[in-house]
Amino acid sequence: MRSSSVLLASVLALVPLNGVLTASALPKIDFPSDSPVDLLSADYGESNESARGGALLLDFHAALSLRNSSQRKIRGITLLVSAQDVTPGGKGSVTLTSLNVGPQETFPVRIDLRLLRPLRASSGVPVQIGLDGVLFDDLSFYGPDKLSSRRTMALAEWEARRDRHYFKSVLAAGGAERLRQEMLESLTHEADRPSLDVQVVRGGRATNFEPEKQVQFSFLRLPDSPIDPVDGMARIAGNEARAPRLEVKNRSERSIRYLEVGWILHEQNGREFLAGSVPAELNLAPGQQSRIFENATLKFPQLGAQPLAIESMTGFVSSVEFSDGTLWIPTRGDLGSPQLQRVMAPSDEEQRLAQIYRKKGLNALIAELNKF
Amino acid sequence: MKRLFVKHPAEAQIALLAGGDLGRWERWRVARHVARCAECEHEIQALREAGTELRELAAEMPDLPNGLTWNRLSQEISGNIRVGLAAGEAIALFDKPAPAKHRLGWNAALVVLAATMVFAIAFWTSLPPQQAEHLLASLKRIRTERIGTMIHSAAATGEEAVVEASSSGIQVKENGRTLSLMQPRSDGSTVSISMQGSAGVRFVDADTGQVTTNKVYYAEQ
Repeated sequence: MRSSSVLLASVLALVPLNGVLTASALPKIDFPSDSPVDLLSADYGESNESARGGALLLDFHAALSLRNSSQRKIRGITLLVSAQDVTPGGKGSVTLTSLNVGPQETFPVRIDLRLLRPLRASSGVPVQIGLDGVLFDDLSFYGPDKLSSRRTMALAEWEARRDRHYFKSVLAAGGAERLRQEMLESLTHEADRPSLDVQVVRGGRATNFEPEKQVQFSFLRLPDSPIDPVDGMARIAGNEARAPRLEVKNRSERSIRYLEVGWILHEQNGREFLAGSVPAELNLAPGQQSRIFENATLKFPQLGAQPLAIESMTGFVSSVEFSDGTLWIPTRGDLGSPQLQRVMAPSDEEQRLAQIYRKKGLNALIAELNKF
Repeated sequence: MKRLFVKHPAEAQIALLAGGDLGRWERWRVARHVARCAECEHEIQALREAGTELRELAAEMPDLPNGLTWNRLSQEISGNIRVGLAAGEAIALFDKPAPAKHRLGWNAALVVLAATMVFAIAFWTSLPPQQAEHLLASLKRIRTERIGTMIHSAAATGEEAVVEASSSGIQVKENGRTLSLMQPRSDGSTVSISMQGSAGVRFVDADTGQVTTNKVYYAEQ
């Protein structure tokens, strides 16, 4: 029986299997009955499946049309994508931020998903799409929040408000020409920012060729940050950085329940880049100190043509959530520091506004700013 | 610096060469490699030393305890098996009777097992000491090699999940299966990684102008 299955799989692997997805292979979209968004339509136009050796590659291209059925403006939405049969521990999400969708208005959501699974895997519905959360303009939230999307979207919304306020003040103080300069600088910065591929593996080292050394963090202290990074170190070996340990102190007068420390890596030949972030959920009373430890490894396959050799690292507090749910993010002034400016990406909103300027011009950008 | 990869003979061939048990052609071929390879030469030297030590140890060991012969050992094993079978049948009377063909199958298997054991013992005792040592060493080496390979394989795949991010998309890999979120036509992308096991890529969709952030997460079940 088993050998016949193996034989069947082998034969199937040799036969080119390409085609559109059957109805049973299409994603199952399920929103709660009291959801503030309705699914109007789902188009899977170019979705297909094909055999790759002993595996089946499922390519989903879903264009969803959703409608805001609530009475408030929607600022962000997160859809949860899971494939329980394929990756039981793995999940995906698609988040739209910087939205401005009024009641009864519709908006598109695009999901481009690829699944690779054995040919002999179960033939049930491979993908489920659900709602993880919706953020409204009054910062209220709806949804199960399994992926902490409330916090993610609220942080993006705070950044969006900060940046819109900044660009509006630039426009008011320096006129359209100053705003144009700001947009050109933003686009240049975005193009020049170093980026690289990165893997994160939970647990120990992924390689054992290079000797490992313990490297101390240096910290970039932002003036009004409620968290003071006291000490920190991580283990570095060649192109891997792992097991960061940080010690932080709450210097505000409110309890803190979440913080995120950005992690900048410096390479031997002087290049630097934002490697990732070390998030921590904790309960830190005013004046209290706490340790953060993550047993994970960051691995950077290659930076351009040369292998990466990490030499030193810098940490900075990139966001904080207080126990009352309010948030702290760095100011535009903080982000203007040369070291951060070299590595930090512009916010979601700044990137969106810069693309409006690039594609539609200055007047369209000013009109967009005036909507808020 | 590039590392040159030299194809070494299989470990079993090295072991056979060390024991002088390779065929003429194979012996010439492997010896030719060993003459130029310090690593394999060292391996052969180590095997020969281990062989000498084993022979010395074997010489010090008594053949069998007093009063025991292989025939008697064989009879005792067969007797024990018969007692076991009789006990099994007696207990089976209190259980739901199994289909006759199943009982016959198990009995046959036990008889074959017992016969195999007797044959293996007889074969082992009939081997000349040097051949027996060599066979033992080879089996041990093969076993070590197999277990070593298994451990290496488990470590390499690690049964661990890897979350990856690149400007073209993000993916979570788990036991050879992959879930990827791809990035459609977009204007610029920003990759982000969280040490808690998530990867994200943010982009402005070229068609809709919407800021979209795709993320993949891994959380143990």
